[in-house]
Amino acid sequence: MVVIYIKAAWRSILKNKLFSFINVLGLSIGICSAMVIGAIVYFDFSFDTFHKDKDKIYRVTTVFESNGNQFSNRGVAVPIMRTFQEGMPGVELAAPFMSANFFKVENKLQDLTFKNIENSILADNNYFELFEYDWLAGDSRSALSNPAQVVLSENKAQRYFPHTPVSDVVGKTLIYNDSISVKVSGVVADFKQNSDFKFTEFMSLSSAKMFGAKDIVTNDQWNGTSSGDQLFFKVKDEASVTLVESRLKELAKEHKNKAEWAANDERNFILQPLTNLHFGGPYGEYPFNNSNHVASIKVLKSLGFVALFLLLLGCANFINLNSAQALTRAKEIGIRKTLGSSKKQVVRQFLLETFILTCIAAILSLVLAPLLLRQFIDFLPADINLSILYSLKGALGILVLIVLVSFLSGFYPAFVLSGFRPVSVLKGQFSKGDKGVRLRKTLTVFQFVVAQVFVIATLLVTKQLHYVMNKDMGLKTNATAYISTPWNNSTDVQKERLFNAVKNIQELSNVSWGGNPPASNNYSTSMLTYFKEDAEMHQQTQMLWGDVNYLNTYKIPLLSGRQMLNDSVKEYIVNEAFAKEVGFQNTADVVGTFVKMDTLKIPIVGLMRDFHQHSLRSDIGPMAITGDWPDDDYPMFNKIHFDLGENSENWTNSVKQIEQAWASVYPDEEVQVQFMDEIVEGFYRTERSTVQLLTWATGLSILISCMGLLGLVVYTTEKRVKEIGVRKVLGANLAQLNMELSKEFLILIGIAFLISVPISWYLIQEWIQNFAYKTALSWWVFLTSGIGMVLVALAVIGTRTYRTANINPVESLRAE
Amino acid sequence: MLLQLNNIFKWVQSGGQRIFLLKDINLEVKEGEFISIMGPSGSGKSTLLNVIGMLDTFDEGEYHFLEDSVHNLKEKHRSNLYKEYIGFVFQSYHLLDDLTVQENLEMPLIYKKFKGSERKAMVADMLDRFNIVGKKDLFPAQLSGGQQQLVGIARALISNPKLILADEPTGNLNSKQGEEIMDLFKQLNDEGVTIIQVTHSEKNAEYGSRIINLLDGRMI
Repeated sequence: MVVIYIKAAWRSILKNKLFSFINVLGLSIGICSAMVIGAIVYFDFSFDTFHKDKDKIYRVTTVFESNGNQFSNRGVAVPIMRTFQEGMPGVELAAPFMSANFFKVENKLQDLTFKNIENSILADNNYFELFEYDWLAGDSRSALSNPAQVVLSENKAQRYFPHTPVSDVVGKTLIYNDSISVKVSGVVADFKQNSDFKFTEFMSLSSAKMFGAKDIVTNDQWNGTSSGDQLFFKVKDEASVTLVESRLKELAKEHKNKAEWAANDERNFILQPLTNLHFGGPYGEYPFNNSNHVASIKVLKSLGFVALFLLLLGCANFINLNSAQALTRAKEIGIRKTLGSSKKQVVRQFLLETFILTCIAAILSLVLAPLLLRQFIDFLPADINLSILYSLKGALGILVLIVLVSFLSGFYPAFVLSGFRPVSVLKGQFSKGDKGVRLRKTLTVFQFVVAQVFVIATLLVTKQLHYVMNKDMGLKTNATAYISTPWNNSTDVQKERLFNAVKNIQELSNVSWGGNPPASNNYSTSMLTYFKEDAEMHQQTQMLWGDVNYLNTYKIPLLSGRQMLNDSVKEYIVNEAFAKEVGFQNTADVVGTFVKMDTLKIPIVGLMRDFHQHSLRSDIGPMAITGDWPDDDYPMFNKIHFDLGENSENWTNSVKQIEQAWASVYPDEEVQVQFMDEIVEGFYRTERSTVQLLTWATGLSILISCMGLLGLVVYTTEKRVKEIGVRKVLGANLAQLNMELSKEFLILIGIAFLISVPISWYLIQEWIQNFAYKTALSWWVFLTSGIGMVLVALAVIGTRTYRTANINPVESLRAE
Repeated sequence: MLLQLNNIFKWVQSGGQRIFLLKDINLEVKEGEFISIMGPSGSGKSTLLNVIGMLDTFDEGEYHFLEDSVHNLKEKHRSNLYKEYIGFVFQSYHLLDDLTVQENLEMPLIYKKFKGSERKAMVADMLDRFNIVGKKDLFPAQLSGGQQQLVGIARALISNPKLILADEPTGNLNSKQGEEIMDLFKQLNDEGVTIIQVTHSEKNAEYGSRIINLLDGRMI
């Protein structure tokens, strides 16, 4: 019996090609988005779910609070690692590790040299006890017991020792950083499942001293926190978590920074469950230093909503079209009922039909999904893929989705259809009642509300993006750029040679030494103490380092005072925000006063104009620039800044010359010219991906909504053919008829517009709070989008009403 | 006795007034009868047929079908009743356009939950009996009107109903086709099937054993 139903369903699908096409397309857009977004969500939730006892593993992180601002660090102070190693109540196993920086690794035997060593850490045997790796060679219990031992991942082992079986790699020697000879003590398989633990090189923690890294045994820097210093541990049981937390609270209290300026600062050690690692905890931190992706629950939620809405739109479409089509199917239902079909059987038949259409849509979606995914690949993690869809789990998920969608979209039409009374068929008159019309209108309004909200949101987000990208930052961002000197093995002589070479390139102007560029994602702050009427004021200040030319390179003007005397004199130039923050009505008065840093008393010699140091999400904060007078011999000038000139045609040539200059000084290293405008652009990566996502969602939702509208128009105009015929006979012209037919739809779209305005206004209002500098939510944006939607709708309506209005009344009136 | 109608009234409200579609109908039908219902347009012929077929309800009166009191039955039982005992034939055939001849014949059997093998046998039997084996895979649109009505009748007969209700079965056919259909009805009646037909044609009415005349909802 099912077979004959399927046959009938298939034939009726083929017969109503336009309707079926619209149905399938609408559904597949929804299903496709649900698949892609489902795969993305699944991907992010699949990280590090395979570890043994994963629910008992935690990481200690640090959260600082200063003057009401909170910020976090995924690392901890090194001495706390020792505390854990010495034993903590409730802790079963503690595994501290630190990110390691090796600048060179040599395999002397095969005469191979490797640079830019990535994903390496200093760890001990506990690490491998906590996180179970598959050992291809070596012994997990003793591999990292002694100094100068290293465990490699399979891939890395093959890189360092090509054509060597892993069992032979163990026992081989590698030379690190030119002189440290290290024995390979084990090879582990890389994790097959998704994991944020992307480490491939594990040096024994006891070798820390050899590499000039912090030594857990002796380090006493309770106030230094580096994000590379990681502390994972396993609790004995669920109850121990609070025990550990309270002990951490005590530790934070015991080791509070005693310095006077830190009186208002708080530091807390917060536990982060391993399962939460991929989602960055409350502050959205990347899981590790070498991570390039952190999942955001908020983003996943928004994606989920987008999928849900597109899915609902597709279902609404289906309901709309099918209950509209009911009229033409009334006869069939009537006959079936006189043949003895029960209501239930009719419902079942139509649900089956819906199911078949949904299956077709799902198959189409599987084909379209990779194309849709490719659209978002820019802001998705690189290793994401849709393989989940083709797995058993995915197939089950898709099946559930199909059943759900079939039911959601098929239930109402089936219900309406099955309600037809056979007697109306026998009488030759189908129910012309307005059954379900209100529902169809409501659905259409719903569709257009969603589409309209997407349109308005897209326009406003784009407007904000345009605003922040084009707002004057207060510094020269076009044509300015910099290069960074290598952070290791770079001598002062080499730096000087490079600087002179760059300076000699004719097209470049305002070449200067400095640290970070004036605007960046970097936060390096110092606590400056300002004396005011005998009281001390501590001011957290963003620091810049640059030579006397630096401000000039970026065209940041001095408003008052003078430039620093030379590149290494202990003098500050501060910005207006600093002057205001420490209490100067007239900001110029700050020039000539003094601040204290640690024990030094340093004069403020100049006032620079405010400029944006970060993205426009944040306000302009207090800032100071000074020269290179490092207190711990660490050079602050490591970047050469310059202006490439207005004529961009010369830039390629200039960059080439810079590369030549670089090659003459650092033949082994690569140079990268960082353009200031690219850095600014990089501030708004998320916003650009939001725009991209919104644009897609908008396009798709408009498409679905218009198809739904088309369905409604087809239905209504067909119903009114006779009326139109009569009107025409009475002398109505084409325009009047078109107007007559379009009127009711335009009213629906008008209602949708009115509903969508406050919704989108509210949503955007919420979103734009992320920015300190906001574009206006102008009324014309709303109006334009409304008018645009009306025009699109008119075009859709017009295709049908024009035809209907053109029907010869002789034809339409004869049909009685 | 197959069915009995006692004092059946059916009305609609229009402008505060009751307009009677059926007025005090009393009718007894025995098994094996062939009844023709006649009357001018709007006299209530089709309404009466629909009431008998349990597709339409009535407002007052009693309807007994075999042992059941139809007026006391719930919708579900009513439909079970007509599913079991009644076959319908329509003026405009009302075949399912998307199904072939064979599948159209099979449909009532499916609704009556016959097994697949049984269905096949019954359909084959019917195709044979009506001499339309060669047309079994055609769609209704590919048949002439007479052929379509033939299929319609075959479909009404396939589940061995006690009663066939036919609403102007020859209304859309030319005279020759009409005659063939009426002969078929006669033959079926001879075989024991009870038939009630609505017709405009005196000639067709003559095929029946009894004629009921309606005027303004009343039997005259």
